[in-house]
Amino acid sequence: MDQQPSADREKLPGRSISGKWTNKERVLIFSSRGINFRTRHLMQDLRTMMPHAKADTKMDRKDKLFVINEVCEIKNCNKCLYFEAKKKQDLYMWISNSPHGPSAKFLVQNIHTLAELKLTGNCLKGSRPLLSFDPKFDKEPHYALLKELFIQTFSTPRYHPKSQPFVDHVFTFTIADNRIWFRNYQIIEEDGSLVEIGPRFVLNLMKIFQGSFGGPTLYENPDFRSPNMHRREMRLAAAAKVREKQMVKEMQKGKKTSAKEDLESDVTADVFLTPAEEKPADIQTEAPEPKVVKKKQKAFKRQRMQMARR
Amino acid sequence: SLQEAFAAGLLKPGMNVLVDKPKKLVNNVEGLKQCLADFRKDLPWVERLDLTNLPAANIISQAEEKASAPAAGELDADDDFQREMFFYRQAQATILEAMPLLNRHSIATKRPEDYFAEMAKSDQHMQKIRKKLISKQMIMERSEKAKKLREQRKFGKKVQIEVIQKRQQEKKAMMSAVKKYQKGMTDKLEFLEGDQKMNKESSQGSKKAVNKKGPSAKRKYKDQKFGFGGKKSGKKWNTKESYNDVSGFRAKIAHGKGGKKGKGGKQNKRPGKSVRKKMKNRS
Repeated sequence: MDQQPSADREKLPGRSISGKWTNKERVLIFSSRGINFRTRHLMQDLRTMMPHAKADTKMDRKDKLFVINEVCEIKNCNKCLYFEAKKKQDLYMWISNSPHGPSAKFLVQNIHTLAELKLTGNCLKGSRPLLSFDPKFDKEPHYALLKELFIQTFSTPRYHPKSQPFVDHVFTFTIADNRIWFRNYQIIEEDGSLVEIGPRFVLNLMKIFQGSFGGPTLYENPDFRSPNMHRREMRLAAAAKVREKQMVKEMQKGKKTSAKEDLESDVTADVFLTPAEEKPADIQTEAPEPKVVKKKQKAFKRQRMQMARR
Repeated sequence: SLQEAFAAGLLKPGMNVLVDKPKKLVNNVEGLKQCLADFRKDLPWVERLDLTNLPAANIISQAEEKASAPAAGELDADDDFQREMFFYRQAQATILEAMPLLNRHSIATKRPEDYFAEMAKSDQHMQKIRKKLISKQMIMERSEKAKKLREQRKFGKKVQIEVIQKRQQEKKAMMSAVKKYQKGMTDKLEFLEGDQKMNKESSQGSKKAVNKKGPSAKRKYKDQKFGFGGKKSGKKWNTKESYNDVSGFRAKIAHGKGGKKGKGGKQNKRPGKSVRKKMKNRS
């Protein structure tokens, strides 16, 4: 599958010559240091999927976040996706509208990249996606804001020089369990048969800020628990279980070895005693008669047989 | 601050536990709406290509008349299959809605056959995927085959046993028929065609006939003599039942007055030794 020379691009179907790229959206996708392979692949996949994306080198975590705004300006980008990895375990994603706009921080979970063999679909590199949103996005103001942010970030501008004119895949954003689930499907038939391409991830909203990478907090997610707290809770629960078991064991031990109550003298033993009536003393003057014992005199079998023979 | 409160007489006697103030979470609805209004771009739909919709109707669950829980309510994020089907159907609904819109804006969705361009996943990768799928299929097929073979073997063994038993029975019948013929009891050679006849008859009928006779006379006699622990010693010879039992009475013989001897018994009589010798020397 070679790439067609760009001279033939105008002859391609669906690309009208009078198309000028007006919607100048550029997204800067980069990360901090300390990310693992999965995050790196996810970033690369997103860059593949979005032809209007630019890459940048890793940023040191020591720098303050508003430095990112300057980086965006240098690169002439107006949106930014910044991946931050903490403790080599948790991945946070910042999405922001660069100069003044809002930004949001998410915790990313359940990452599956393009390279997974179970995700069997494929699409043109740089083709424009359809975006599909859950109706729940329209119900809450913070979700509505996020929806607008996603639309502006993820939709490929029309007539972008690196884009392909066909629409052959669809991004879905769904809200379930207070998280945003992202999926990418390839459109096989126009009647709606789909295959998943990937990547796929789950976003857990933490905060929405008014400014880009800073500014007053507009929204905080009440259901969000930081991964550290989550891990701590698990550990505490496990510890509590162990302690409980130990306590039970000790109690049982104590029961076994504790001095038992002295049961020899029963206090309640005399409660039901009623003194018996005195019987008249019966004095026997004569000895009782000896009993007559009838004894069967049976001879042994052999003797009996001998007798019978005689 | 506790002491001050005590001094002011606000605290009651007893344990006063420090309660954390419940955390106040920011939800600045006005701010959110303001922000949204500020930064939203009113692009034509063609630029954004976004749609908001519920998932398409679930054909399978409709067919089975199951009440699907996420019809309008909550989607259970832990039920993997349900969740993925939900996402799938949402995407489907989007496509169904979007197709006419795209056609109107003359945006193509079908790639022509000769349009070669770089794909998101390389050809090598797709080959790997294909290989994996094929190998999975093969494994499944192989396991199916193995299962079937195992079943067949068990069944085959049963059938084999039945066939062997049937053959043994047939052989027995044949041999006894042949012996009967040799001994001159039956002069018909029907047993040679016996197989054909047997096949014509319903096997059930012939089996019934065989079973009617039950155990042979020899068997019955032996059972009587030795069966159930044998004859009890000291059994009375003449009891009421044995006296009244007239099954051994043959009227013909009783009133026949020695008919057999009178007729001259050549019917089933075996010739004497000298006669047999003569016959043998002759033939």
